[in-house]
Amino acid sequence: MKTIKKFFIDNEHVLGWAMSGPALIAILAIVLVPMIQSIGQSFQNLDLARPALNAFIGLENYANLLKDSRYTSSLVSTFRFSVISVIFELILGVSIAVVLNKKFVGRGFVRGLMILPWAMPSIVNAAMWKWIYNANFGALNALLSQLGIIEQYQIWLSDPFWATVLVILANVWKETPFTVLMVLSALQTIPEEVKEAARVDGSSAWNTFIKITIPLIAPTLMIVSILQFLWGFQTFELITVVTGGGPFSTTELVAIRIYQNTFRSLRFGYGSAMAYLTALILVIPLVIYARSTYKRMVNY
Amino acid sequence: MKTKKLLWIISIIIIASFILAACAPAAEEPAAEEPAAEEPAEGETITVLFPKHEADFKNAFDARIREFEAETGITVNLIQGDWESVANRVIPELATGGSAFDVVEFDNGWVAEWCGAGWATSLNDYMEPGYTDDMIPGLVDLFTCPDGEVYGLVWNNDTRFFYYNADYLAEAGFDAPPATWDELIEQSLAAKEQGVVEYGHAPYWIQEWALANELHFYTYVFGGSLVDDQGCITMNTDPKTLAAVEFMIETLESGAYDPAGLTYNQVDAQDVFLKGSTLFNPQGIAGLLTYTEDPTISNVVGQVEIGLVPTTASGSSAALTLPEAYAIPVNSQHKEAAWKFIEYMTSKETNIKLAKEIGILPIWVDLFSEPELVSLYPFWADFQAQLPTARGLSVITWYNDFVDITNAELHKALSGRQTAQEALDNAAAQLSNFNCVP
Repeated sequence: MKTIKKFFIDNEHVLGWAMSGPALIAILAIVLVPMIQSIGQSFQNLDLARPALNAFIGLENYANLLKDSRYTSSLVSTFRFSVISVIFELILGVSIAVVLNKKFVGRGFVRGLMILPWAMPSIVNAAMWKWIYNANFGALNALLSQLGIIEQYQIWLSDPFWATVLVILANVWKETPFTVLMVLSALQTIPEEVKEAARVDGSSAWNTFIKITIPLIAPTLMIVSILQFLWGFQTFELITVVTGGGPFSTTELVAIRIYQNTFRSLRFGYGSAMAYLTALILVIPLVIYARSTYKRMVNY
Repeated sequence: MKTKKLLWIISIIIIASFILAACAPAAEEPAAEEPAAEEPAEGETITVLFPKHEADFKNAFDARIREFEAETGITVNLIQGDWESVANRVIPELATGGSAFDVVEFDNGWVAEWCGAGWATSLNDYMEPGYTDDMIPGLVDLFTCPDGEVYGLVWNNDTRFFYYNADYLAEAGFDAPPATWDELIEQSLAAKEQGVVEYGHAPYWIQEWALANELHFYTYVFGGSLVDDQGCITMNTDPKTLAAVEFMIETLESGAYDPAGLTYNQVDAQDVFLKGSTLFNPQGIAGLLTYTEDPTISNVVGQVEIGLVPTTASGSSAALTLPEAYAIPVNSQHKEAAWKFIEYMTSKETNIKLAKEIGILPIWVDLFSEPELVSLYPFWADFQAQLPTARGLSVITWYNDFVDITNAELHKALSGRQTAQEALDNAAAQLSNFNCVP
C-alpha cells in the first residue's frame, strides 16, 4: 500500500492521469465516439427503415441538403429566431440585472422569482404559452381585448409573422433569467472604487454604464450571447408544442428537421449530415465573433 | 520506465474495452429464448410503454395493470405519455435494436414499416390457435404482416364517429343532423347566424401528425385515394381527392369551420366542442361521450348525440379507424411475461371492465351485443351502423415522410397560400422518390 502511495507521490503525472482517467473514459465513450460515429454516418445512406439501401455515398447527403428547401428555410428561420432572441435577452437581461444589483427591500425574493421561468421545464413553459396564445380562450386575446387594443379575438398562431414573434417572445421569457444571473454575477465583480473614481471625475451615470460597466462585463455578455445563440439552434419543445412548426412550416426550426429526418423517417445518414452541416455553419461565424470580441477586450 | 509502460498498456486496454462495449450494437444482443422454454417468473419486471387513453380520466388502465400484477406476480414498470411523446421513444428504440421495453405501442400508421423491418415479435408464437377468431376481423388483419403472422393486439379500438350537439341543432331550427356535407355547411352557417354557436366545427388542423389523419378522413369521405395498393401516389391525379381538399378549404372560407382550427390539435378542438362553441365534431374519438357527461370539463352534458358521417353528393361516406395495438419488441428480454400482459389487457374480461368504466370500444365482436354494455351504451348501435365504412390509414413504409411532406403542403393550402391542386402536386413531387414503394 505504502509502495503504491509512494509511486503516485513520485510520479505526479501518473496520478493526474489516474484521477482524470474515469472522466476521460466517460467523455470518450459518450461524446467522442458517437460524434466520430455520426460523422461516418453522414457519408452513408443509412436508412433504418430500408436497410437494403444502406451504402457509402460520400458527400451526397451534404449535396442533397443544399437542395432541400425545407432544411434551408428552417436554417433561416432558426437564425432569425436565435439572433432576435439573443438581442432581446441581452437588452432585458442587462437591464434587469442592473436593477437587481441595487440594494432594495425584497431584493432576494425578486432575484429568486426572476429565476423561475428558466428553472421551469421547457415542456411546461411551452404548454403554458400555447394556452396563452389560444385563439378562443387564450389570455393574450383576453388581455388585448380588455385593453381595447383589439376588437375581436385574433388567431395569432395562424399568421407566419405573429407566430414567429410570439414563439420568440416565449423563448425570451424563458431564457432571459439566465442572462440576468450571469450579468448579475459579472456586475458584482466590478470594484466599487472604479465607479466611484468615474463619479469623482464627473462622469454621468449613463456614461459610467456605457464606458465602464459594459466593457467590464463584455466577456460575460459574449459568453452569454454565444450560449443563447447556440441554445436557439437547439430549441425543440417550444416549437413542437406551440406551433408544430406551422403555419405551413414557417416556424419550423432546424432541430425539428434534424429530429424528423433522423428519428421519425429513420434516415440516420441524412440526419447526421444535417446536424454536421448546421454545426459547421454555426461554428464559422461564432469563431469570428469570439475572436473579434476577445481582441477588443484585450485591446481595452 | 517499465512500470510506466505497463500503466499505459493497462489504461489503453481499459479505455478500449469501454469503447468497444459502448459501440456494441444492441441488435446483436442475444435473441429471446424459445417461448416453450420460457416461463414468466414470479417477481419478473416488464417495462410497458403506451399512450394514456384520451378518455381515461379514472385511471382505468392503471387499475387493470395493478390487477394484472396482483394476479401474476409480474411487476409492470408502466411508462405513459401523450401519443407524440410515446412515438418519439418507441421508433428510435426499435430502429436501433433496443431492448428497454417489453411491450410497446404499435400504431396502425407504423404497420408497413414494422413488418418490413422485423422490429416486433410474432404473437402467433404465444397465442393459442384460433385465439383471435372472435375479435373484430379488421382489427386483427390490420396488425397482420404479409407473412400472415399477427404482430399486434389492439388495446384501443379507436374508430371515429360523428358527434353533434342535438340541443343546439334544435335551437337553430334543425330536427336532424346533416345527411350530407352540404347540409353540414348550411346548418353550421344558420346556427352561427342565429348566435347559437360560434362555428359549426373547430377542426384540428395544426401542422402535426393528426392533420394527415384528417386528410385521410376527408379523402375517404369523398371516395378518393392518396396511394394505391402498390404504394403509387394517386393523390394529385384523383379528382375525388382534389374535391376532398377543396372541400376542406371551403369549410374555412365559408365560415362554417373555425379558422383557429389551423392552430388546434385534437385536444384543443375537442375542448371547443365541450365548451359548447361548436355544433359538430365529425371525427370524435369513441371516448368523447365520456367527456361530454363530465360536468367538470363539459358545458354540454346530456346534449351530445351520435349520427352517421354525412355523405357527399355522390352518396359516399366513411369513417376513420385508427386502432392502436400492443406489440413485443423483437429484442425484449421478457417475452413470455410481455405476452401475459397483452393477453390480460386485451381479454374479454378486461375489455368489459374498461368499457364499463370509461366507455372504450371492445375488440371482441360479441361484446357489442352484451346486454349490460348495450343498456349502458345504447348508442353503440349507431357505432355498429358506421363500422362498415371504417377505413385505416395508408399502409406504406414511408408513412412518416408522407405525413411530414403532405402536412406542410396541406397546411399551406388550408391557410389560403396555395390551391388544393398545387398542394397535392407539390406533395407528390416531393414524395416522388417513394412513388410505387409499398
